[in-house]
Amino acid sequence: MNAQRALSSFRAPEEAATQDRTWTVVRDAYRLREPVRRRRSHRRLLLAPAIAILLAVVTLSPAGATVGRWIRHALGVPHAAPALFRLPAWGSVLVSGAGGTWTVASDGSTRRLGPWHQASWSPHGLFVAVTRKDELAAVDPHGTLHWALARPAVRDPRWYVPTGYRVAYLSAHTLRVVAGDGTGDHALATGIAPIAPAWQPGSSYRLAYVTGKGRLVVRNADSKRIIWTAPLSGPAHELAWSSDGRELLAVTPTRASLYDAGGHPIATIPASPGAPIRTASLAPDGKMLAMIRGAANQDVVVWNVGSPTATSQPRRVLSGAGLRQLAWSPDGRWLLVSWPAADQWVFVRVAGMPRIAAVSRIARQFSARGAQPSAPDGFPSLDGWCCTTTGTAS
Amino acid sequence: MHRGPGAPLPLPSVTDSLVASGPLPRTRRPRARSERALIRGAIAGSETDLETLFREHWPRAYRAAFLIVHDHAAAEDIAQEAFVQAIRRLDRFDRRRRFAPWLGAIVANRAIDWLRARTARRESGQEPSESAVAADPPAGAYSEEVLIALAELSPEHRAVVVMRYVFEYTPGEIAQALDLPRGTVNSRLRRGLDVLESRLEKAQPA
Repeated sequence: MNAQRALSSFRAPEEAATQDRTWTVVRDAYRLREPVRRRRSHRRLLLAPAIAILLAVVTLSPAGATVGRWIRHALGVPHAAPALFRLPAWGSVLVSGAGGTWTVASDGSTRRLGPWHQASWSPHGLFVAVTRKDELAAVDPHGTLHWALARPAVRDPRWYVPTGYRVAYLSAHTLRVVAGDGTGDHALATGIAPIAPAWQPGSSYRLAYVTGKGRLVVRNADSKRIIWTAPLSGPAHELAWSSDGRELLAVTPTRASLYDAGGHPIATIPASPGAPIRTASLAPDGKMLAMIRGAANQDVVVWNVGSPTATSQPRRVLSGAGLRQLAWSPDGRWLLVSWPAADQWVFVRVAGMPRIAAVSRIARQFSARGAQPSAPDGFPSLDGWCCTTTGTAS
Repeated sequence: MHRGPGAPLPLPSVTDSLVASGPLPRTRRPRARSERALIRGAIAGSETDLETLFREHWPRAYRAAFLIVHDHAAAEDIAQEAFVQAIRRLDRFDRRRRFAPWLGAIVANRAIDWLRARTARRESGQEPSESAVAADPPAGAYSEEVLIALAELSPEHRAVVVMRYVFEYTPGEIAQALDLPRGTVNSRLRRGLDVLESRLEKAQPA
């Protein structure tokens, strides 16, 4: 047999299965493809930078903030891209929508992992913990199932950082822990508030969670020994450790509190009157804190929490009605803000020169017929922006 | 807890008769549409034409990516991204050209980039220890020998061999697609073929 015949008779593994999997992705890309653009006149090209500068001045300067807010309330971010063509930073975004769970790579390509409702990256992006009604499972970024576990009302899985040797999750009102290979599942605590637990990075399996009575607890997941507890000012909706495991952020509607590893409060950011804190997220390096606050209209504000003196100087980076979630890029330079009211994702550059890039038609991009929506309004939820083996999950 | 994809579903029992009563009506088989017509239809918004185009070209694109990178999961990603990229640029595609060489160039270049990135990650110690294993092995005569022989070649050599003998490009088309001088393509083809022939000769029973 000669080389040419051997090559032409060669068949790669799983050709038919890969074809079916890929067709759905290609079809979705086709439905969302950029339409043919007519050639612009030189006059319009010359005007474009001037309009962009004017918009930036109007929307970002304190004097123009009201006007900017009005523009964004009415329309969303102007000139939003019609589809997600690429991410502004490296890594992969994990998103769960009506069509299931998807990964979005930095070049904009998407991959559907399956009909899951929620997901969470493993520390190095090699696996994804996924949930649906009564099931927790681990899949790889290609969607291949590695193990699954049937438990009632499963939600909020979180991998231990940096090894991924444990996964904590909520099952109804019970906090449970399972080994990264799906073995040794056990209950750690009952009567838990419905917010995601948070592993202390690099610790001996210390896990932070909030009890149903509103108490913050840090506990060893293997020995079940309680390390420390602290009262909270109200119902918590966010817990997050800094990447070095030295600080724990606990967010309630009235304040964001930072604790050291021993449970001592080190900084508190109170909410402004009439502007409750809706969500907050620590940057991967733990030096910046982003927050969505406000009642009917919300602002995304960023604090430099790296130095204690800087915590009183928030910087507003986006305003709008109906902003929902935040996710930091792995390099900590970009913030992804989900905006269901405008059906947009907004990428805000918070390091260096300010920049805003928006993508519209997000709900449609991650939808599929016959699937259960992950949020009440069907808008996809952000489940993390991860590292793809070059860092840690955000 | 259960592991793996679970037990296969039972096949439904066949109860309907498959015997036709009386002569079957004559049906005219629809004529296969030309590639140019499919592209025109896809640009105009026909999802059916796009699917026909996709299913016609997927096996070769995926196979080519696999032969270059030797990793089925990465090959699937590469071929998928190549298709998505091609779809996004479909409006700008010059319809006088053939679709396969255009797609093949995207696949080959992406596969080479992927291999270079993997080499860089290995050198910096960031390459994960896990590797994906396909449920089905590759098929075809001497498939193992083909993979072993290709592994002895550099990514650039592999790409040239795959484009010539999987996509059936002319050396001129390969030179254009990979932005290489024609002489370089010929020399890489010669070397690639020598390695393959030698490996296959050893594998053949005496």
